[in-house]
Amino acid sequence: MSTPGSAPGSEGEQRPASAPLFEVRALTKRFRGLVAVSQVSFSVAPGQILGLIGPNGAGKTTLVSLISGTLAPTLGEIHFEGRRIDHLPAYRRAHLGIGRTFQVMKPFPGLSVLDNVAVGALFGIAGGERERSRARDRARQCLELTGLDHRQDQRADALGGPDRKRLELAKALAMQPKLLLLDEVMAGLNAVEIDEVVALIKKIRDRGMTILVIEHVMKAIRTLSDRLLVLHHGQQIALGAPDEVLRDPQVVEAYLGKRRT
Amino acid sequence: MTTGRWLVISCVAALAAVPLLGSATMVQYGISALSIAALAQAWNILGGYTGYASFGNSVFYGLGAYGTAIAMVDGHQSFGVGLGCGVALAVACAWLFGGPILRLRGPYFAIATLGLSGAMSAVVSNLGFAGKNVGLILPLYRGDELFYELSLALLVLCTLAVAWIARSRFGAGLVAIRENEDAALVMGVNTPRYKALALMLAAGFSAVAGGIHAYWSTFIDPASAFDSTLNVKMVIMTVFGGPGTVLGPIVGAFSLSAISELLASQLSTMASAFYGLVIVLAVVFMPGGLMELGRGFRRGGRHYFLDNMRRFRL
Repeated sequence: MSTPGSAPGSEGEQRPASAPLFEVRALTKRFRGLVAVSQVSFSVAPGQILGLIGPNGAGKTTLVSLISGTLAPTLGEIHFEGRRIDHLPAYRRAHLGIGRTFQVMKPFPGLSVLDNVAVGALFGIAGGERERSRARDRARQCLELTGLDHRQDQRADALGGPDRKRLELAKALAMQPKLLLLDEVMAGLNAVEIDEVVALIKKIRDRGMTILVIEHVMKAIRTLSDRLLVLHHGQQIALGAPDEVLRDPQVVEAYLGKRRT
Repeated sequence: MTTGRWLVISCVAALAAVPLLGSATMVQYGISALSIAALAQAWNILGGYTGYASFGNSVFYGLGAYGTAIAMVDGHQSFGVGLGCGVALAVACAWLFGGPILRLRGPYFAIATLGLSGAMSAVVSNLGFAGKNVGLILPLYRGDELFYELSLALLVLCTLAVAWIARSRFGAGLVAIRENEDAALVMGVNTPRYKALALMLAAGFSAVAGGIHAYWSTFIDPASAFDSTLNVKMVIMTVFGGPGTVLGPIVGAFSLSAISELLASQLSTMASAFYGLVIVLAVVFMPGGLMELGRGFRRGGRHYFLDNMRRFRL
């Protein structure tokens, strides 16, 4: 099961011409015997959307946790805006401009929807707004953007599934991140709602945000991603333009093959 | 808003006038009620707002008492200087132990703080200048009025601090930690620092209460200074009144102090049993405390109680 890597950086691919906003070099995470993420290397240019796919247990969420700082890497480096950040605590990375959503959603259950989102505005990029009133204004804008404004006074634990997904997104947006990590924000949504979220993600990208998105909804990830990264058993098995990657026989076998049988 | 402010100011003024008008027993009862309310309010900062149920606040109370006593007895300092030493000692201890202990969550945090309380009592029992397990006798000061006003001032100060927390960015960070610490961290809240500050703030206020009590009672020993039942009282009173609210701990402390006083005078031997019954009923029927009871009852009437009961599957 475990395949200890021995050639650091060997999987590093061609860098894009513009300086990357964000770069991962030979990133590895071991949980005792299990190698959850092994020798992953990639970079994302500003304003790009990178799709991250792979079967269940491939290490996608672990990778996002390594980048956002909720997990510490075993080996490898993470660079953000030319500065190494893998030793920084999660809140410092948030101040630098990295925001994430959680697949297993983490709302502040006892607070109103508005106050949930205001936390992002109060503590996000550059340490956030100092004034609570201004943070609330920014939070309201994010709620409008995600279509939750009519629920702003409800408690977060009173929201239904799709609205919880929207809340998770609004909280991350309120931080005004430069890099947004989206961990399955479309899971459990219907087709119409998925189209809405896809449109929203594009809109956010057009404002200059760089996005890494984990998704199982293949149609959505195909239309969204500028590039696609495929993980399988923690290994990076493909990286490139979505249509090329999805034709890659290795990817088809590891990921799509099971579905076509 | 302004009418509320005037109401609060006149309440404080009325309380401040008690020593001028009331009897000596009333003043003495007032000192205990005010200082336990201040302790509950200090506990509220960490337990109510940050969500860390501490059983170590009696340690800070005890350190405040011992710091004051040692400075006054061994160092021949004035009470004011002593109080400063007590607060410094407690805050330093909170800073020192806060780092490792605040990494623990839920019951593990509670157990660790309980352990701290036991350990500190043992340490003090072995220090010669702290009077070992015999204790220290402080210089006598006859003037319950002063202790009453000091306790009131402490409660007011502590409540002002909590009122500031309730509307500040700092408080928003603490509440985010209480509601979901992982999410708070990822959203940019410096959780280790915020938790440490909350603990140090609670420690400082608890220490002042301890120092006042030491001088008032003129005698302290490890058993009374590091009494963990005092900490249990802080928890019960805060939860009874409404944790994470500005006035909840005061309402809880005053009403429970009154109830226990009343029960003790009416049916002396069975008093604690009834006291326990009141608390159990309160926790089952109004888990959000008296402050939430008002809101819930206005919205749902008696259904508020029934809904809470159902939630516990009773």
